[in-house]
Amino acid sequence: MIELIDLTKKFKQNFAVKNLNMFIEKGEIVGLLGPNGAGKSTAISMLSSLVEPTSGDVQFENKSILKNPSSFRKIVGMVPQEIALYEDLTAEENLQFFGRIYQLRGKKLSKKVDEVLEQIGLTDRRKDIVKKFSGGMKRRLNIGVAMLHDPEMLIMDEPTVGIDPQSRNYILDTVKRLNAERQMTVLYTSHYMEEVEFLCDRIYIMDKGNLIAAGTKEEIKQIISSEKTVSIKAEILKHDFIQALEENPLINRVTVGEKEVTILVPKDANVFSEVIKLAETNGMELTSVDNKTPTLEDVFLHLTGRALRD
Amino acid sequence: MIGILIAKFKNFIRNPWTFLIFTGMSLLMAFIFGGTNAQEVYIPISTVDKQIKDSYIGEQLEKEEGINFSWMSEEQLREKIETGKAELGVVLDNNTYQIIVGIDSHNTGLVEQIISRIYYEKQEQEKILTIVGQDETVIEELNHALEQPVFEIESATFRGEGAFIYDNSLHRIFGFSLFFVIYTIAYNVLPILIEKRGGIWDRLILSPVKKSEMYIANLLFSFLTGYFQVLVIFFFFRFVIGVNFYGRFVETILLLIPYVFAIVALAILVTALVKKVQQFNAVLPILAISMAMIGGAYWPIEIVESKILLLLAKINPLTYGLEILKGITVYSYSLQELLLPISILVLMGVVMMGLGIHFMERRHI
Ligand SMILES: Nc1ncnc2c1ncn2[C@@H]1O[C@H](COP(=O)(O)OP(=O)(O)OP(=O)(O)O)[C@@H](O)[C@H]1O
Ligand SMILES: [Mg+2]
Repeated sequence: MIELIDLTKKFKQNFAVKNLNMFIEKGEIVGLLGPNGAGKSTAISMLSSLVEPTSGDVQFENKSILKNPSSFRKIVGMVPQEIALYEDLTAEENLQFFGRIYQLRGKKLSKKVDEVLEQIGLTDRRKDIVKKFSGGMKRRLNIGVAMLHDPEMLIMDEPTVGIDPQSRNYILDTVKRLNAERQMTVLYTSHYMEEVEFLCDRIYIMDKGNLIAAGTKEEIKQIISSEKTVSIKAEILKHDFIQALEENPLINRVTVGEKEVTILVPKDANVFSEVIKLAETNGMELTSVDNKTPTLEDVFLHLTGRALRD
Repeated sequence: MIGILIAKFKNFIRNPWTFLIFTGMSLLMAFIFGGTNAQEVYIPISTVDKQIKDSYIGEQLEKEEGINFSWMSEEQLREKIETGKAELGVVLDNNTYQIIVGIDSHNTGLVEQIISRIYYEKQEQEKILTIVGQDETVIEELNHALEQPVFEIESATFRGEGAFIYDNSLHRIFGFSLFFVIYTIAYNVLPILIEKRGGIWDRLILSPVKKSEMYIANLLFSFLTGYFQVLVIFFFFRFVIGVNFYGRFVETILLLIPYVFAIVALAILVTALVKKVQQFNAVLPILAISMAMIGGAYWPIEIVESKILLLLAKINPLTYGLEILKGITVYSYSLQELLLPISILVLMGVVMMGLGIHFMERRHI
């Protein structure tokens, strides 16, 4: 349905997005994952014809949208990363305003507004001013506004940033439902692994403007099938212990958290005894040593050597 | 486009504070600094002989425009001067007069000139009368002739050349209105920046609404609120305080339009050049206050001598705005005489708006 071809955006000397290749089929939920500054927002701004790429192309049904974006704009709903609402107007007035912008009038408009309010669960708060809404409610309305014109495709830029778990679940469920009931195509941007794992059929992972992995959940997890992750927990992590881990030839990568060290080791290696021995020689008490099933987080770690979030 | 305007008006009604504050400030400042005794110079006048008031001299004084001669007793007059309520006063006798000066200003010379002229005219009349005798028809003809002189005489009076007329209260009303409206307009253009950063513009761009409609709606709204603010202020002074704008109130209101337009354009240029709202908040007062100082909103531009300031005044929309408003009222200029400042403002507006929108579009905020 839509395809990005060698899409590149340069700001001055920096590549925000570099040679990005991506496609989205009708009815899919596709995840775009990456840490802050990865270039996710820039990528989807180009995809939705809001920002002109430095080079490359975006094709909708095999036609470039760069010169003539109107046919694509008609079918796309955009949920921006920021809360793009009039804070001094009520939820209902916001929906009416954006509905009118999409040339809905009269009965049709009010019916659509009611329907969207129902979908985002704000029917009983319709007369309240947006400024007084909680973060989660604003986020829901932010999504609602993008659905007024019945888009075939929804592009969501980190729609769950900074909100309570309840609203977050509500939003995730809504996205799943829209996809199931209306075959809505969704491009979902996030730096939360769990969300993308929960929602998406296919996933793209970006870092520093580059695409570093792409495929289905299973395919991506295959990337680290030759390795496994072991989590070592302790109340106090001694520097010598960590250094010893780093120097150990069995261990491929060491990531230090607050009370936890994560190490990547070959799949068949038995590192438990090794780790416990190292702890003992360095006079450290361990709380636990666990094998972890790989998550997308681990994939990211594997590929970049950095955690997805700090 | 109508939809955008409706949303703006709704927003305005929910949040009228910027507008109210700056309108209130303009009213207050113009009121405090302008005083209310308005446009005429107030001169107390008393007579030794009561008949003088109804004689030729009294009649001529009443006709005098720009000066309000107020009749009273000599004691009252001296008290007014001593207490500083009047700069000077005049005591009239049949053939002589006395000017009592409290505060020496250019008004002293002005009053002196007017009074001496009237006494001179009276003497001339009396001389003629003693020659021709008490012939009524002659007197009538004489008066007629005086009113319609045989020769057209170009008279350059004291008020015309060189010296300038300074109407304090009207100047303050104009000055403060033009100054504070900069803020109201600019703060109504600012949402473009906020909406661009916040993603509302992106939403509008993806919708069937045209870019041009988005700009027109925003700029039109800023124009209307700015214009409305000045209207409120002028109507207040015209109909509540009773300042009569030299009888050209309607013209004054209409000739405001080029200035308001130019300020809208200036605001969009500034908005396009700053990157953040904080920068905007820092730049705006500096710009507005220096424009007001250089353009003569606080004091008449005529007293400025610095070459640099005068040069800067030439590129300052406020200078022209003030020139137009004072021109139409205090100086009673015709529209043709004001064509130059009007054209300059319109030109400035077009150029700044063009540049502003260009920069706004070029930079992806
Ligand atoms: N308008 C711009 N001008 C200059 N640099 C920009 C601009 N927009 C983005 N960038 C840079 O491009 C890079 C990618 O930014 P982008 O916003 O696309 O990242 P992101 O993945 O959406 O991050 P986040 O999770 O924080 O939203 C960043 O380094 C950013 O500083
Ligand atoms: Mg982003």
